Amino acid sequence: MTDWTRRQIGGLAGGALLAVAAPHIVRGRGRAKVVVIGGGIGGATVARYLGDMKSIDVTLLEPNSTHVTCFFSNLYLAGLRSLASLSFGLETLAEDHGITIIRDSAVAIDSGGKAVELRGGTKLPYDRLVVAPGIAFKFGEIEGYDEAAAKIMPHAWIAGPQSELLRRQLESMEDGGVFVIAAPPNPFRCPPAPYERASLVAYYFKQFKPKSKILIVDAKDQFSGQELFQDAWSRHYPGMIEWLPSHFTGAIKAVDVAARSVVTEGETFRAAVTNFIPAQKAGLIGEKAGLTDASGWCPVDPVTFESTLQPGIHVVGDSIIGGDMPKSAFSANSQAKACAFAIAASLTGSPQFPPHLFNSCYTFLAPDDAFTNALTFAPEGGRIKTVKMFISKVGESAEVRRRTAHHAMGWYSAFTADVFGGGS
Amino acid sequence: MKRQRAAPIVSRAKGLAAEIRWLLSISLSAILLFPESSAPADVSQGAQIAATCASCHDPTGGGQAIPPIASLDEQAIVKAMLAFRASESPSHVMHAVALSLSDDELAATARYLADRASAGRQP
Ligand SMILES: Cc1cc2nc3c(=O)[nH]c(=O)nc-3n(C[C@H](O)[C@H](O)[C@H](O)COP(=O)(O)OP(=O)(O)OC[C@H]3O[C@@H](n4cnc5c(N)ncnc54)[C@H](O)[C@@H]3O)c2cc1C
Repeated sequence: MTDWTRRQIGGLAGGALLAVAAPHIVRGRGRAKVVVIGGGIGGATVARYLGDMKSIDVTLLEPNSTHVTCFFSNLYLAGLRSLASLSFGLETLAEDHGITIIRDSAVAIDSGGKAVELRGGTKLPYDRLVVAPGIAFKFGEIEGYDEAAAKIMPHAWIAGPQSELLRRQLESMEDGGVFVIAAPPNPFRCPPAPYERASLVAYYFKQFKPKSKILIVDAKDQFSGQELFQDAWSRHYPGMIEWLPSHFTGAIKAVDVAARSVVTEGETFRAAVTNFIPAQKAGLIGEKAGLTDASGWCPVDPVTFESTLQPGIHVVGDSIIGGDMPKSAFSANSQAKACAFAIAASLTGSPQFPPHLFNSCYTFLAPDDAFTNALTFAPEGGRIKTVKMFISKVGESAEVRRRTAHHAMGWYSAFTADVFGGGS
Repeated sequence: MKRQRAAPIVSRAKGLAAEIRWLLSISLSAILLFPESSAPADVSQGAQIAATCASCHDPTGGGQAIPPIASLDEQAIVKAMLAFRASESPSHVMHAVALSLSDDELAATARYLADRASAGRQP
């Protein structure tokens, strides 16, 4: 008895009193409606956490029947994971978390009338809207690289058919071929991922096509985890991976898909296979709905993730800008939880506490050699600021790295259950 | 630690007897509104912070590689987190998490996780 009483009384602390009363007011006039655009990492997480509160009616819009995770898709490219093992349906969100799933895209947002228009023509009313459409590519920015070119030089930066295309090309490449990775300018989805891709494709080449080479033609002069990658490349794949910074090549000016070449200021690189990762911006619905600023990304309040341009609309995940959080699945999931609790507070009066924003990514250098980083963030002056950052170190023992790679597997299963449902 | 914290909360609460009765009646009616299997998720501070744990720790406790936390008691969680806070080794990920929590936030989170674990163990 005492335990139970203590728990109830504990609920009195802070500003919780008013908060507990409010849900009844909302229930009295029917459940508040939240529509979520995008059933990827950020959108699925918001939907799941809001759905579990039971006091809110949640509808999730996603045109694809399954989500293929970008994280671990570099393991697929190396032949170490199947694409099926990286694919998740949204059924569990519907069955166990009470969310209505609509297999359709949002084509317009009427922010005044608070409704979303679907491709199929339906208009869905909302009290709050969450927009989590991920990224879009700046096609046309580099001469010769458009959507058609991506069918020959895949980006494989949204996992699925693009990843399969790149894998097929790598499989049919002859030993001794050159694989070019064109790495994008900042900011872009998952800063260490182009270099993780180079590492894991090198692992594949080392076994099956050991005379092949990997050239990373970069739009930048430095990259995330650089020391850790360069150390690993010399240990695992000596002479196989060459990184060309922007100041060295003068950056990429054009691609010629017919000639299979990448043209920089000073040189033309001919490749057997090219993975061209274009510059990026917020998912297209962001721009269409007036949620983006001049940067092409969506500015948000760092506590509630409400757009600073369109009240009543929240944005989470890769589409946002306005702080130090990298564009990662972990960040999207962390932002989504803060956003869900903020929306619940505004619609049902539940208590709101300062958000804990976090990012931790596992990056593979080889199947049994991985590193992690861990960053904490806090809102400060309208932006998301890094508070602490830790990262694995060059020179760690093989045993530590093996353990980290093992942890990565555990993280993947727990994380995807958290996002797509499955756990309790 | 549990007992020391409980005492002041109880005495403050006594002065709020009317509100407590009111609050409890609301909480009970909220519980009655839903069948047990679909009880609404807790939105206390502990629950909100514990949502962060679920990004890596399997909430059902079946984690293969990352140690499960679903069945730990309150003191074990606090003790482990204080050790993580003190040192970057053995896990810089947990070091970062532990540093980001105040003592009060840590206590609220540990209490929430332990309460949920003991509720789960009851038939
Ligand atoms: C190679 C690679 C490796 C990576 N590795 C990691 C890693 O190890 N760890 C990590 O944390 N992150 C990693 N990431 C990054 C991670 O995948 C992304 O940051 C994450 O997916 C972002 O989530 P999101 O919800 O913003 O976008 P997404 O997960 O892309 O979801 C967006 C969803 O919105 C839908 N959508 C778009 N427009 C509409 C519309 N108009 N209507 C309805 N639905 C719409 C899309 O179909 C999509 O399902 C990696 C990325 C890549 C490319």
